[in-house]
Amino acid sequence: MTAEHSDQSLLSHVLLPVADEEDAESSSLALEPYAPERVTTLHVVEKGEGVPDKTPVEQSEDIAQAAFETVRQVFPDAEDRTAYRRDVVEAILEVAEDVDASAIAFRPREGGRLARFLSGGRTTQIVTEADRPVVVLPREGEGG
Amino acid sequence: MSSDDEELAKDLGLLAALTIGVGTMIGAGIFVLPGQAAAAAGPAVALSFVVGGVISLFTALSASELGTAMPKAGGSYYYVNHALGPLFGCIAGWGNWMGLAFASAFYTLGFGEYLATFLPIPAIGLGIVTLSSFQIGALAAGLVFIAVNYVGAKETGRLQVFIVVTLVGILTLFSVLGFLQTDLSTLRPFFPAETGGATAILPATGLVFVSFLGFAKITTVAEELKNPGRNLPLAVVGSVLIVTTMYAIIMVVLMGVINWRQLSPEFTKTPVLDVAEIAFGTVGLAAVGVGLLTFAGLLATASSANASILASSRINFAMGRDRLISPKLNDIHPNFATPYRSIAVTGGLILLFIVVGDVKTLAKAGSVLHLIVYGLLNVALIIMRESNSEEYQPEFEVPLYPIVPVLGALTSFGLIAFMKPIEIGLALVFVVGGVVWYFAYARSKTEKQGILSEFILSRSEEMPDSAVTAASSMKPDGGQFRVMVPLANPEHEKDLITLASAFARQRNGILEAVHIITVPDQTSLEYAADHLDEHEHNYHEILDEAQRDAETFGVDVETHTIVSHRSFEEVFSTARSHDADLVVMGWGEDAHGSPGRVESALDDLGMDLPSDFLVLKDRGFDPEHVLVPTAGGPDSDLSAEVARLFRDAYDSEVTLLHVADDAAEGEAFLEEWATDHDLAHANLRVETGDVEQAIERAAEDCSMVILGATERGLVSRLVSGSLVADVAEGVDCSVLLAERAHKRGIADRLFGR
Repeated sequence: MTAEHSDQSLLSHVLLPVADEEDAESSSLALEPYAPERVTTLHVVEKGEGVPDKTPVEQSEDIAQAAFETVRQVFPDAEDRTAYRRDVVEAILEVAEDVDASAIAFRPREGGRLARFLSGGRTTQIVTEADRPVVVLPREGEGG
Repeated sequence: MSSDDEELAKDLGLLAALTIGVGTMIGAGIFVLPGQAAAAAGPAVALSFVVGGVISLFTALSASELGTAMPKAGGSYYYVNHALGPLFGCIAGWGNWMGLAFASAFYTLGFGEYLATFLPIPAIGLGIVTLSSFQIGALAAGLVFIAVNYVGAKETGRLQVFIVVTLVGILTLFSVLGFLQTDLSTLRPFFPAETGGATAILPATGLVFVSFLGFAKITTVAEELKNPGRNLPLAVVGSVLIVTTMYAIIMVVLMGVINWRQLSPEFTKTPVLDVAEIAFGTVGLAAVGVGLLTFAGLLATASSANASILASSRINFAMGRDRLISPKLNDIHPNFATPYRSIAVTGGLILLFIVVGDVKTLAKAGSVLHLIVYGLLNVALIIMRESNSEEYQPEFEVPLYPIVPVLGALTSFGLIAFMKPIEIGLALVFVVGGVVWYFAYARSKTEKQGILSEFILSRSEEMPDSAVTAASSMKPDGGQFRVMVPLANPEHEKDLITLASAFARQRNGILEAVHIITVPDQTSLEYAADHLDEHEHNYHEILDEAQRDAETFGVDVETHTIVSHRSFEEVFSTARSHDADLVVMGWGEDAHGSPGRVESALDDLGMDLPSDFLVLKDRGFDPEHVLVPTAGGPDSDLSAEVARLFRDAYDSEVTLLHVADDAAEGEAFLEEWATDHDLAHANLRVETGDVEQAIERAAEDCSMVILGATERGLVSRLVSGSLVADVAEGVDCSVLLAERAHKRGIADRLFGR
């Protein structure tokens, strides 16, 4: 970690990567109690880079919009970013650098070992590759 | 979104686009069909491919123009639905989707045949169905293709470029070596009498047309193309030209090396391998040749099947967005980020077709359905051009308009006539199915009208009466705004109806008055429905009154009586099943179990509001002076909408209130908010301190307070004593609580209108 980060508080500008509306809701509710000063929501549209994507881009953008709106229900001033990248983790780290986030906060996705393997074990990847603090948000309790 | 991101969203280059087209098309004609094609027309089948190429070229030009004008997911389906309206949209959408499923099954069976040449797969008898070895292979392969798309391995996409380049390489080598072995006498007679001579060319084109299904798939990913104005036409037209040339040459080579009679399905399942053995045999590499071509056959059929599954999910997405099918089908998998349901449904169909269909029938069924879509696509182009729509600005224009699209439509529809009656019948079943689907399902859901009917209805004077009548009677009605009013208490009925009518009138919508009668759990619903009088005396009176009131406002009204064991939940489920856009209901102190009241049975509702909700705490309906406290957010957008409605309908005076920590910041916020919400002339009031007290102070001068829910699930949490509930109790005037729909909400409202 570089010195420029140490003079700001951990939650002065949180980058909150979210996957969809539901994830946005639970992530922002999980982050809310820690009262971050500034929040930037990030949605990464997975791109094939030179090949057709898994999902139509328009659909991904709809999902991103819905997720941003949902986060703004909790953090009305949250800014948003959409990144188009093949590698989701790389995109998160790049945008964090770009917006000069003080920390990256996210809620690990559910799913069994196989699902995690297939979707690339992103939790581990973010935690090990990040060049700034990573806040792993607790899973929501019942009733959220 | 910055412009950089826009650029990143478009990452398909010309080569990638070409490989989608070439990769889909090259599998079928060469590796699966040549035997059938040889039996159908002999050496002249090379001409059948050329004819197929020419027909495709007309449509390819039209598809390019439409694609550059409207680079939207869904391709052909989207253009037809947009131009001709949802009735034809249903035909094209279902036709395109099923056509792709047929084609995928066909490609997958081809894959199975190549697999069976070197893997000893046993045939299996399952009761009445017997699965041959290549069907087993095809089912296994089909499952793999579907699974790969289901979990969305990104690498499959990147492979496509490699696969297509490899394929073209192998086929070129094959053609050159084969050409050295061709004996022109083997090609004679060019028009053999057994097949019917030259007249066999067009029926054979009907058979091999499935080989030309790939070019339109490029338009389904038009939105992802870099520089689509240039790359889309190049890729679409280019892939047709490349594939047609390769097909024609390879057919000549195949039938120049081995007499066409020896290639037919009676003698061999894989004629290409037989020819490869001879062609590569001359350089002493017969085994290598067979191996290479087997490899190529597997690659080609796999890539065609894969691309078809992918394209079908784009069509599903576009159909779901237009509400021709349930948008639920397009939900994205939380971990894989793929439209898994759509892939699973299409995958299931493909497996079914593999089990029941044979190659030739599947090929023709796929062809007929695509020909219908292509014909409609050409008509769509003519409509777009003729309607002079301002938004229609294609970067690429079809040459020689209107000759090309007219020829495209005529040749596409015309080729269907050369199919067998049973195949035409099958296609008609799908057309009729699409029409039935429109009237039975889609008509009440979709909101899109189509340029054609707009065009006809806007010129109703000049157009023939029959066209106008037809256009207006086919019009979708799902676009109608529905306001639902659950009624319980006759005392407040009138105010609720007044409020709901104002909304319905403003949106040209329908008011739906629902009387929910709650009966105890012990009473069966059927019994209660037959004996309503016992439960509620004069139960129809309240609805009759509602109807009279609504009609005085000039609003169309529908009434329903619903008998339920639960009350408040019933409001939610009725709102959902009737597709209500807005629910207006009352909120009072009286007892639990009273329907149309928010207090009862709230806890299990969760946070999923099916539509926008307006809840009126009624102390007399008087919109003379309206107060809107706001802190921003989607629910306050709804309050702003209500305030605007009151202003326009009742000339209300509107006051906006914002409670801030810092007065100057608050003023800046409120001014911006007022301008954004078209309430710039309202009185602005900024206060500091306690929110509740500030609202109550401001409300003293007002006749009605409109509160936006400030957090999710407020409607359902009203009883638990929140800020809103306190405010509603604390003021003397009527309070209107506004909460936006949650689940169905945001994406729908952005794109549904």
